Amino acid sequence: MSNSKNTILSLRNVKKHFPIKEGVFQNVVGQVHAVDGVSFDIGAGETVGLVGESGCGKTTIGRCVSGLEPLTDGDIFFDLTPEKLVALEDFEKHQSEIKNKYLIDEIQSTSNISKIEGDDFYNYRRNCQMVFQDSFSSLSPRQLVSDIVSRPLKIHKVCADNELIPRTIELLEQVGLGKQHLYRFPHQFSGGQRQRISIARALALDPKLIVLDEPTSALDVSVQAQILNLLHDLQKQRGLSYLFITHNLSVIRHMADKIVVMYLGKVVEAGKTEDIFANPQHPYTKALLAASPDLSEDVMSDMAALDGPIPDPARPPQGCSFRTRCPVSRTECGWEVDDIIRRLEHHETLIDSIKSVHQPDAFNAKLTFETSLSAIELKDVVGTKDIPKQMRKAIKKIEVKGNDVNISFDPVQTVPLVQSENGSLSRCVLANK
Amino acid sequence: MSPDNLDIQNSLDKDLIASVTDLKVYFESKQGMVHSVDGVSFDIVDGEMMGLVGETGCGKSVTARTFMQLVQSPPGMLAGGNIKFRSKNIKNGSQVIDLLDLSENQIRELRGERIAMIFQDPGKALNPGLTIRTQVAEVFQEHRENDVLEEAGLKNKLTGVTEYFVKKYIKQEAGFLVTTLFKIPPLSTYKKKIDSGINRLVAEALEETQIPNPTKVMERYPHELSGGMKQRVMIAQAIACNPDLLIADEPTTALDVTVQARVLDLIKELQKRHKTSVLYISHDLSLVRRICDRIAVMYAGQIVETGDAETIFNQPKHPYTQGLINALPSMSHERGKLEAIEGIVPELIEPEPGCRFVSRCMRRKANCEEIDPKLKPISEVNKSHKVACLLYEA
Ligand SMILES: Nc1ncnc2c1ncn2[C@@H]1O[C@H](COP(=O)(O)OP(=O)(O)OP(=O)(O)O)[C@@H](O)[C@H]1O
Ligand SMILES: Nc1ncnc2c1ncn2[C@@H]1O[C@H](COP(=O)(O)OP(=O)(O)OP(=O)(O)O)[C@@H](O)[C@H]1O
Ligand code: SF4
Ligand code: SF4
Ligand SMILES: [Mg+2]
Ligand SMILES: [Mg+2]
Repeated sequence: MSNSKNTILSLRNVKKHFPIKEGVFQNVVGQVHAVDGVSFDIGAGETVGLVGESGCGKTTIGRCVSGLEPLTDGDIFFDLTPEKLVALEDFEKHQSEIKNKYLIDEIQSTSNISKIEGDDFYNYRRNCQMVFQDSFSSLSPRQLVSDIVSRPLKIHKVCADNELIPRTIELLEQVGLGKQHLYRFPHQFSGGQRQRISIARALALDPKLIVLDEPTSALDVSVQAQILNLLHDLQKQRGLSYLFITHNLSVIRHMADKIVVMYLGKVVEAGKTEDIFANPQHPYTKALLAASPDLSEDVMSDMAALDGPIPDPARPPQGCSFRTRCPVSRTECGWEVDDIIRRLEHHETLIDSIKSVHQPDAFNAKLTFETSLSAIELKDVVGTKDIPKQMRKAIKKIEVKGNDVNISFDPVQTVPLVQSENGSLSRCVLANK
Repeated sequence: MSPDNLDIQNSLDKDLIASVTDLKVYFESKQGMVHSVDGVSFDIVDGEMMGLVGETGCGKSVTARTFMQLVQSPPGMLAGGNIKFRSKNIKNGSQVIDLLDLSENQIRELRGERIAMIFQDPGKALNPGLTIRTQVAEVFQEHRENDVLEEAGLKNKLTGVTEYFVKKYIKQEAGFLVTTLFKIPPLSTYKKKIDSGINRLVAEALEETQIPNPTKVMERYPHELSGGMKQRVMIAQAIACNPDLLIADEPTTALDVTVQARVLDLIKELQKRHKTSVLYISHDLSLVRRICDRIAVMYAGQIVETGDAETIFNQPKHPYTQGLINALPSMSHERGKLEAIEGIVPELIEPEPGCRFVSRCMRRKANCEEIDPKLKPISEVNKSHKVACLLYEA
């Protein structure tokens, strides 16, 4: 990067998996892949918008960045100089040549948020603030607003005791509240007012980075405009950076320099805001833009809902994870045996007659049925339009042997994130062309 | 029925399911009385979707909670008004009641059965200590006993004491003894059928809101779900009630557009299938326009304009409504600059007389600070479009 600015935040292959526990003994039976190898950078004074379907891992990323969740894998770096960023990128490319090992060690101990200590840690804590999605549970119900907003000021001793209240009032006024709200409890406020209290608290320490998780979703357009304008002004004055999480695309368009689009724990498209809006590459991004009410001309048109089964984040599909709902999916998108099973929902009796499934990997399986008739029926169903054409074509082999059906697909690697023609990154086989 | 109930019955128009008249809800605070809802009136047409929009803090949620008598008192207090509601009880025919007059038991019966609510804060509305399954199952157990029996394959198959016990078991009203009976044959076979029937119903309800993998998700606790998933659990609960009136308080704020579209479809479906009327509270004007038949715009505890959705959007009359429509971020605005309505919402503590919007109004007149504007039809021709602004008072 030829940029002379610092990189405030750098996520490098971040993973966060949550164990799924079941039964009386709470045995771990699987892992929810909430965040599955996410990388992106936020420059000083920059806003990165994080968008994606509900449950795709946005809040989890925000919590990881704020140090509230230990990472399963990967690293998050805070405030890197351009040299350090280059060194890191270099190191990742040529792991074997450890020519500047000492620099890497230094970066790890001064900037990696899960390793830093002492002053560096304090510096990070103070300079990285978060506004939570659920304003109700993130504000302590027993604290007065004055305490909530002034607490960070007190802890970090940024102003004298007699300045505490004036400064708190100033912060409240910035978000459209006032001194009359100082001595009330969170439950005495409306949803949108609580959200603004969280924003005031996050602004208190004048941080370098604020993670904003759906900060304006409970606000009406007019207050939303006021808050967005405030965030924008603060950024201009002080070079603040934002990680802006939202599902509202028109808000993102107003706020973000860069956009990261996620789907099922992975980044599917990333690039400059203008590029993504003008020329979205990934089919999921296209669907999002098409379904967004403010963006389409004809406001009364039916809102397009994506069809098709939503995969389980505990068993994310191989190949491209969007293929189960992708309107332009192709034969090479990484179909697997689970896709056939997912499409059998209208054939309940067929599913019920499956006796056992032997599945050495995602692409090969032997299904054993109770009768050979059911086995033949499965093969027939696979030939019908219940199974999309692209998926059918991807089947390498399907053969019936008595009560068994052997199915195999061509194995496919996870679709990589590649540069597409408009300069943004896209995770789709169509972009590789 | 008491005589004054009869009186009320006469005054609720046939085509309405509910009518709010001059509702006032205040809160005590150290600085004085907060007039959160201060003379709100609007009607909900039977089978229609009514949108309630307005700035944050203007009193939408308090209004909604008052329908269900959920405003805590103290500090809250009902300072006046009534909410008439047509209760369509199959046995007694339809009957008009004042929701604010009901005893705690009566309102509890109505809640969930006739009126269901989707709350704004999923974090607050879901019990953190119970699995999702338990919380959604409760709805079926309490309000949809017959569907549970049907799903369990037991409909019309039981008689006498067994039926009595099974119903008790479904409603979770069985005492220790009966619960024990259900652990041993012959009742244990029913238990199995009922339990798996309920599980199927719960999974279906969750699946309808597009929660992926409902059978697994329902075993989790609220903190293990994302914001949007929690919101959908609440939606599933409310919809499962098959209510006559659904009050949805910002039900889709945490949902992305594609899921939102699905949820709105669901609500519409419910509306068609069950003739449910909906009070849809939102600050998202463009969304409300798409789905609602009529809209009421609220400002600082009062309704300032109401009418059918298209009229409000195309010919907004109140300066506040006009400002709201201008503040919508659209693709034409320059980045980073949005038209906010200047100024802040006035304090609702012991408000002064006069128009509440006056400090922010670009079109104010000399007497706006003295006279309270009344909500009145805009013209003789269109009686349904009402506005509260002195500009339109002759
Ligand atoms: N328990 C309470 N004590 C004191 N004031 C309260 C209480 N509950 C609500 N209020 C006040 O009543 C007003 C209306 O609140 P309400 O929650 O109805 O707003 P709302 O229109 O739903 O806003 P939002 O869009 O932000 O959810 C607010 O000014 C709020 O501060
Ligand atoms: N503590 C937890 N334990 C188990 N699973 C979790 C936990 N927290 C989150 N998850 C799961 O991780 C996934 C991602 O959740 P996350 O809250 O990050 O989604 P999100 O993108 O913020 O969604 P939304 O837009 O609905 O808020 C979800 O499937 C969720 O159920
Ligand atoms: S790789 Fe591209 S075309 Fe194929 S399913 Fe995924 S998004 Fe669709
Ligand atoms: S009554 Fe006066 S101040 Fe109020 S909205 Fe109308 S013109 Fe503006
Ligand atoms: Mg979230
Ligand atoms: Mg509210």
